Amino acid sequence: MNNKYKILIVEDESNIRSFVKTILETNGYQVLDSRTGTQAKMMFSSHCPDLIILDLGLPDFDGTEFIKEVRKSHSVPIIVLSARTQEEDKVQALDLGANDYVTKPFGTAELLARVRAALRNSRHGIDGEKEGNKPFVLRDLKIDYESRTVTMKHMSVKLTQTEFNIVALLSEHAGKVMTYSVIIQTIWGSSDTGSIKKLQVNMANIRKKLGIKPGSNQYISNELGVGYRMYNE
Amino acid sequence: MENFKKFIRKLLLPIFILSVSFGISLTIQTVFHTDTLIPTIFVLAVFLIALTVDGYVIPIAASLVSVLAVTFAFTFPYFTFRVSVPESIFSAVIMLIITILTSTLTTKVKRQNKMKAEAEREKMRADLLRAISHDLRTPLTTIYGACSALIDNDDQLTKEQRMQLLKGIKEDSEWLVRMVENLLSITKVGDENVKITKIPTVVEELLDTVLVKFGKRYPNVRVSVEMTEELLIVPMDPMLMEQVLMNLLENAVQHAKGMTELLIRVSQKGSLAVFEVSDNGCGMSKEQMQHLFQGYSARKGVGADSKKSNMGIGLSVCAAIVKAHGGTISGENRQNGGTVFRFVLDTEEKEQNE
Repeated sequence: MNNKYKILIVEDESNIRSFVKTILETNGYQVLDSRTGTQAKMMFSSHCPDLIILDLGLPDFDGTEFIKEVRKSHSVPIIVLSARTQEEDKVQALDLGANDYVTKPFGTAELLARVRAALRNSRHGIDGEKEGNKPFVLRDLKIDYESRTVTMKHMSVKLTQTEFNIVALLSEHAGKVMTYSVIIQTIWGSSDTGSIKKLQVNMANIRKKLGIKPGSNQYISNELGVGYRMYNE
Repeated sequence: MENFKKFIRKLLLPIFILSVSFGISLTIQTVFHTDTLIPTIFVLAVFLIALTVDGYVIPIAASLVSVLAVTFAFTFPYFTFRVSVPESIFSAVIMLIITILTSTLTTKVKRQNKMKAEAEREKMRADLLRAISHDLRTPLTTIYGACSALIDNDDQLTKEQRMQLLKGIKEDSEWLVRMVENLLSITKVGDENVKITKIPTVVEELLDTVLVKFGKRYPNVRVSVEMTEELLIVPMDPMLMEQVLMNLLENAVQHAKGMTELLIRVSQKGSLAVFEVSDNGCGMSKEQMQHLFQGYSARKGVGADSKKSNMGIGLSVCAAIVKAHGGTISGENRQNGGTVFRFVLDTEEKEQNE
């Protein structure tokens, strides 16, 4: 019985497809590859992959439409491959439900880290439903949803209501990039011109209280111009 | 409708100038009872009109109007189109010729200056492309050569040799990636007509992103950060500013020999955000300081070592980006040794009205 994770790659450039396939297969994943959007749709419905890697730059195929369609019925993690000039497409893909993005050119370590994080994120989501509100633990950070408390290195951290809600939201989706608009909508319900600044101010306070210094890259990562993400490993 | 409105607006200034000239001439005539000065006043008026208005049509029309005005109002018999002395016709014709020539000359000079500025920009772009294609050849030579070696001599190579070749390929590919990132930044800011979109960016987040990215490329280089405790948000294009900081940091790693400390300091002075990247390396030579941000165009006689030439392009990209943000950038040697690069950005959103 094959217990490997199934990953579907949607990429038209054969060289990229081949090296990504090689990396994933040598790291214990099973790879299904598709060259076009139509192939991708067929393979998705017939094989039910555990993860989709989707290149946003496919000709004649709107990756964001594909994401919308998939998200209608599935929560399978989606990682998009984007070029540096496709900022808006990337943000749109994330808003529509993609989990994460990798910017071209990318190396093996980066891709594998994202794949691991996305698979872990989807596992946490499924398990979370069964195990109720278990606390979130990441190295020295612990978030207890029941008591609404946060501890760092065993010392309790005083967060405001809003700050806790933001931290809880990020941790519930740990490993996934949460765009500014998704966070703002979830925490405040509606957005106006001052919302992003409100979020930025809150995040700065959260970082200070948790003792996160620039460059440490340990708990929360900020994707400039896009959103924030909490690591899950 | 818009074009019509614009046209009317264009006519206002010439009409104003002509009316003023008419008024001055009338005053001179009634007060001083002399009309020899008047044609010269109108010639001056036409000259001013040619300077301030674009195109040939309006200045030439102004010349005709001036001559008519002078003949009508300021040539005896006054306020008729009749002329009593044949010389008056002569002087009217000469005045017409002078005014038309003046207006065509000034318009021509303006157009020539515009073309010269365009040509200079084109030259800069051509220089940049030339420098880049030259610099791209070196890493590509390595990559191509190493790959051929690996494929053709697969059986004869030892594992160490293979690893060595592959590492070289990886290094040069990374160099290419950095070069391409610089190029992409240039396309964003190089064109005078392209405006960058600024979004309010938290400086701490910018530094975090840069440090993480830099740390991945140079894991053995330690960078310290000094920054204000208060939240500092500056309107900027974050990707471009990331590029500036990365270029400055990489510059220090590649060129500041003997460096042991690399520091990024950010401070706020009034409404300005001051960024400093400083090192305690060997400092810059007088020659380097002279052509600091001119990079590619001022580079003469530099060897084919592409690593050195990346500094030129990196710094000129920094200068172009900072300038496009309306900021200033400078570089100097520190008193106790080493170099510091400083750039300043405005923290307030200003109306981009150019």
